[in-house]
Amino acid sequence: MILEKGQISSAQLFFLVNCFIQGALLPLNFAYPISKHDTWLAVIAAMIIGSVIALVYISLAGLFPGQNLVQINDLIYGPYLGKFISLQYILFFLMTLSGYLWFISDFVLTFIMPETPISSIMIMFSFICAWAVRQGIEVITRMSVVFSVIPASIVFITFALLLKDMEFTNLLPLFESPPGDLFQSTHIIMHISFSQVLVFLMVIPYVNKQGPSKTPILLGMLSGGMVILVSSIRNIAALGPLSGIVTSPSLEAVRLINIGKILTRLEILVAMAEILLLFIISCVFYYATVLGLAHISKLRTYVPLVVPIGILSIILSLLSYESRMQVSHSIMYITPIVSLYFYIVLPFMSLIVAKLRKLPRNKGRN
Amino acid sequence: MLFLIVCAFSGVILFEVPSLIRNKYWRELVVFSALLSISFIIVVLQTLGFQLPSPAKGLDYIVENVLHLNYH
Repeated sequence: MILEKGQISSAQLFFLVNCFIQGALLPLNFAYPISKHDTWLAVIAAMIIGSVIALVYISLAGLFPGQNLVQINDLIYGPYLGKFISLQYILFFLMTLSGYLWFISDFVLTFIMPETPISSIMIMFSFICAWAVRQGIEVITRMSVVFSVIPASIVFITFALLLKDMEFTNLLPLFESPPGDLFQSTHIIMHISFSQVLVFLMVIPYVNKQGPSKTPILLGMLSGGMVILVSSIRNIAALGPLSGIVTSPSLEAVRLINIGKILTRLEILVAMAEILLLFIISCVFYYATVLGLAHISKLRTYVPLVVPIGILSIILSLLSYESRMQVSHSIMYITPIVSLYFYIVLPFMSLIVAKLRKLPRNKGRN
Repeated sequence: MLFLIVCAFSGVILFEVPSLIRNKYWRELVVFSALLSISFIIVVLQTLGFQLPSPAKGLDYIVENVLHLNYH
């Protein structure tokens, strides 16, 4: 049963992962209030720990070549328990998708179009995502090549333009925030960007050369992480103690650019970059949800499920979240704990159970 | 408002269902209609003014006040 006929190359996988990690440019502002000017240390720590955890996902995919997350769960836990665990994953992906939909609509509402009803932005955004997902994974990855270059170049250009306003002494009292706060901030950054690489277990089977999926994913994580690191250093050095207070440090920092009173108000560039990146992230989560659901209910094509899942995710995000305060509190204090179960406990358990049952060898003999 | 919702959902049905029936994808049709009817019921209830519980708030309540697992 092959639901996805498209194939992607490992270079395209690298760009997709790069885009996916860079998408944390704006969600990163949930970490600034907790570890104020030490956030860049938290980014480095999250990058290292996230790469180590990604090795678990990659080895899980390497044990079962050509199988996605739902099929792997079926093989490891048997048909019934495996279906139950896959269903949990799909619900989690759906909740994440609705969270991202809410985040982008709230972002557009706050900074660009303040008087628009939130549901209209959500509907337009998810319509485009649904269009991309209906075309398959090939189209999404081909877009990601362009979409990963634009935001990275915007980050580096704004870094260069802001150099004269920066004071690097703002970074200096290292490890000033208590270790608990630093740990919490690392955990937040991990669960909004680096650990979400788990969703690529649904994409890895469609890479045309099955062997080396390890290098593109790790390289993509590291290069995307470097972009986030540069942007966080830029924000802290330009804003100083203000970076923990403002709603969106990236936008506020870029707003400071003033070169000869001609190059000003460049924050719309950051907004553009963020919309492109969040589009890729939402597409990947959307695709994983739809494909997983189609695999669970043993369908022959996943295309008819795209629109109902889109409607369901819009409804979920309108029902779930009502204010920015609620989302910030939830992301800063609660969802790191919830996502621990999906990002760390279940994959480790799957790997251990697979090793104990000596699974791939048995399958080869049959 | 209700009229608009019915229009949107019938648009989705007209968009998807004919090709499903033509290709005899009955299993796909069942899953599609189940998902679409769940979302239709929730949307209609929401439009008629029923206060539906928020899943994210429920999760927050369970994690924070029942399990006492959080960063505070």
